[in-house]
Amino acid sequence: MARDLGELNREHFARYKDDVKKEGKPFFPRALFHDTVMSLVVVIVIAVLAVVWYYDAEGTEAGILGPWYTEPAEPGTTSFIPRPDWYFYFLFYLLRIFEWPESVFIATVGIPTIALILLLGLPFYDRRRERRPMHRPVAMVAAVLTVLSMAVLTWKGATAREALGSELVRLVPEWAEEQGFAQNREATDGAELFAQTGCLNCHTYLGEGAGTLGAPDLSAIGRTNDASFFVPFLTNPAAFGNTVMGSYAYLGQENLAALGAFLEASKGGE
Amino acid sequence: MATRSRRASLVETTVLQPLDWVDERTAAVRATKWFLFRNVPRDISWAQTLGSAALTAFIVQTVTGVVLAMYYQPSSAIDPITGKPVAYSSIEHITNEVTLGWLVRGMHRWGASVFVILLFLHMGRVFLFGAYKYPRELTWITGVLLLVTGMLLGFTGYLLPWDQTAYWATVVGINLNGTAPFLGPWLAEFLASGPEITSDALAKWYALHMLVLPGAVIGLIFVHIYLVTRLGVSSPPWSAGAAGRERPAARPEGARTGLVRGSGGGK
Amino acid sequence: MSDTGHDNSHLPGPSLWPIGFAVGIACLLLGLVINWVVAAVGAVIAVVFGLLWARDVTREVRGEVPEIEPETRMIAEEPAPAPAVAAPVPLPTYTRSRFLEATTIGLGAAIGAVVTVPVLGFAVLPSFTNVEEDEVDLGPIENFPVGTYVVASYLSNPQQGEVSRRTAFVRNNRAPDAGEPSFTILYSRCVHLGCPVQPNGPIDEAGLKEIEGIELRPVLAQSFGCPCHGGLYDAEGNRQAGPPVRSMDRYTFSIRNGRLVLGELYAVGNVSGTGADARISKYPWSTPGTHVDGVESWLYPIVPSQVTR
Repeated sequence: MARDLGELNREHFARYKDDVKKEGKPFFPRALFHDTVMSLVVVIVIAVLAVVWYYDAEGTEAGILGPWYTEPAEPGTTSFIPRPDWYFYFLFYLLRIFEWPESVFIATVGIPTIALILLLGLPFYDRRRERRPMHRPVAMVAAVLTVLSMAVLTWKGATAREALGSELVRLVPEWAEEQGFAQNREATDGAELFAQTGCLNCHTYLGEGAGTLGAPDLSAIGRTNDASFFVPFLTNPAAFGNTVMGSYAYLGQENLAALGAFLEASKGGE
Repeated sequence: MATRSRRASLVETTVLQPLDWVDERTAAVRATKWFLFRNVPRDISWAQTLGSAALTAFIVQTVTGVVLAMYYQPSSAIDPITGKPVAYSSIEHITNEVTLGWLVRGMHRWGASVFVILLFLHMGRVFLFGAYKYPRELTWITGVLLLVTGMLLGFTGYLLPWDQTAYWATVVGINLNGTAPFLGPWLAEFLASGPEITSDALAKWYALHMLVLPGAVIGLIFVHIYLVTRLGVSSPPWSAGAAGRERPAARPEGARTGLVRGSGGGK
Repeated sequence: MSDTGHDNSHLPGPSLWPIGFAVGIACLLLGLVINWVVAAVGAVIAVVFGLLWARDVTREVRGEVPEIEPETRMIAEEPAPAPAVAAPVPLPTYTRSRFLEATTIGLGAAIGAVVTVPVLGFAVLPSFTNVEEDEVDLGPIENFPVGTYVVASYLSNPQQGEVSRRTAFVRNNRAPDAGEPSFTILYSRCVHLGCPVQPNGPIDEAGLKEIEGIELRPVLAQSFGCPCHGGLYDAEGNRQAGPPVRSMDRYTFSIRNGRLVLGELYAVGNVSGTGADARISKYPWSTPGTHVDGVESWLYPIVPSQVTR
């Protein structure tokens, strides 16, 4: 009684049509009622989101759902941090993961294209007649992995932060509070320089920055040394045995002194 | 029959006869009746509402979008009065000055997110239920195309306010397309209307967002709903009364139904 | 055949006179507005055709019923004898219906082409053919101190307005009396995916110079970072860390009347050496993310700038 897949499918579909005709319920009002209630929920959710968004924000000031708009487009900016809309965060974070230049096109076109081919071709490579989830292990594993990884990537994309000037400079008042140098003008200037000069591309400070191997956390560096050590060090790290750091002499004496004062005042926050 | 009640004859003349007139010429009334009163499997419930919910979100987007189009101006030139780009100023105008503009704009903006969420949820539900299998392969394919087009709608619409967020997200998006082999850089130059975003770009993206992509989505929706209506909604696969379930094999003729000799027999 | 001769109500035969009458009336009315000559002509036409019409309508009443026989050929009594030849072999014929089918499809294709080709051309070609690149005058070279970067903001195409505002990091590599002028001019858009690169150093807002729409701000930076995906460049624009696929793009430049003028943008594979002694591997500009050297450059054999410039 070996019947081929096509025959089995057609028989099943014929039975389905028959069952629906005999045992089914009318679309209106039975199913359309559920559809209508759900649609009402959707419309209400959209309206509520719109109202909350509007009343919690003001112009370019963000509320809980973001601002009404950001500043007008500035094609020549050097301080803006681009981000896509939230439902593209997973792609955005993939681009941060694939940071080896030879692999860039994997994240930009490779993965999305493969995902699209897998989605479109699904009915053609999954021809089994089995539809119960518990009896489709491959499908369920794939689904769970996809959902989890997209959720994680979206979350990581939402919280991604770059240790760059325009983001970090905003944190200087917080640092001043925590380290207690808010009254020290020189140290505050030094903190701003510290934020803008790319130090946190390697070092970490009060939870910000990249901890590239070898670059120590500087939050409490002021406990072990003072400005008279830091300024010569920054001018010529090689003289102190540090061959990884470049010289920061180009910043000029005044700026170096400010940095020294800042590092001296960084004694580890409360 | 005895004299018809006044009410019945009133209904007849004002509703039924005009409908008959239309139906005789268009068959629209009988088609609507068939659509509304057709049977669906008796075990479908809330899980099967996600598709129509996505359609509702799309209708919200269309309606709010059409109204926004009456106030939005797609130009990146600087408005001499406000000192800001014209498109940006029109968005400020809609949000701050136009009566209920903030609500329509807000609904359009958040409707986009809700639409995308519902598309993914609907896709996941269909996947879970195995409802992409025979004979619903084309329904699934049009559905995936709807997902892609929906996300493209979100992407093209994101540029329209012409603020920093919009501009830079679009620069990155265009360059993402530019990394595709061979034709990538050409596609990127077409999208940006030049080596980089020029003053022609905004109008092109507006045309894509407002005309080309909605046209594609509406066409795909028609095909998708036609297929769903023609092929029927599938029952949940674990349901005991699933439409199309296997029936127990018929017993051979003459078999007894009971254990006791002489009982049962026949079919 | 219609039953014109049978019923009592007289159905009028076909006639052009009413149409002529209507034309005459229309002319008359038009002439009343425009010109009395036209009105007179219209009146004449209306009267003439009106009379002819009336004559037709009253023909029966007046008693004249001219019988107009259709012209016929005398029908022969017997059919002509069939020629005594064998049935002819059917020749391959190009039938009328096949001709019409082919013509309809052919003309349809022609119509499609006449509409589609210009429209598609209009949609696609301007992005490639209407690109202009002006040279940008950044001002006297005295505004660019030797050895440090200046953040220069300018309009690359003033006719397009603010949408063409761009930023470049400009470093004067050589004092004017020390030899040929040498400038390192790095384009501020990241070559990974085009995000705006930030200089890793404080921008001196107090030192801002604004000349004819150009804004110059000195900055103390020896490296540049990108806020999107973690790209990092050194002082020559070479990639130090992160996903950028090549070195930062650069501008060619020329000095005219002691002023720095930006030329065209080009892509850089790698820079060896620094400042005025740098050796730069130069390639035609292409969009960020596309490799210009190495194996992966074969993925982008022809880029638009090679064709449109």
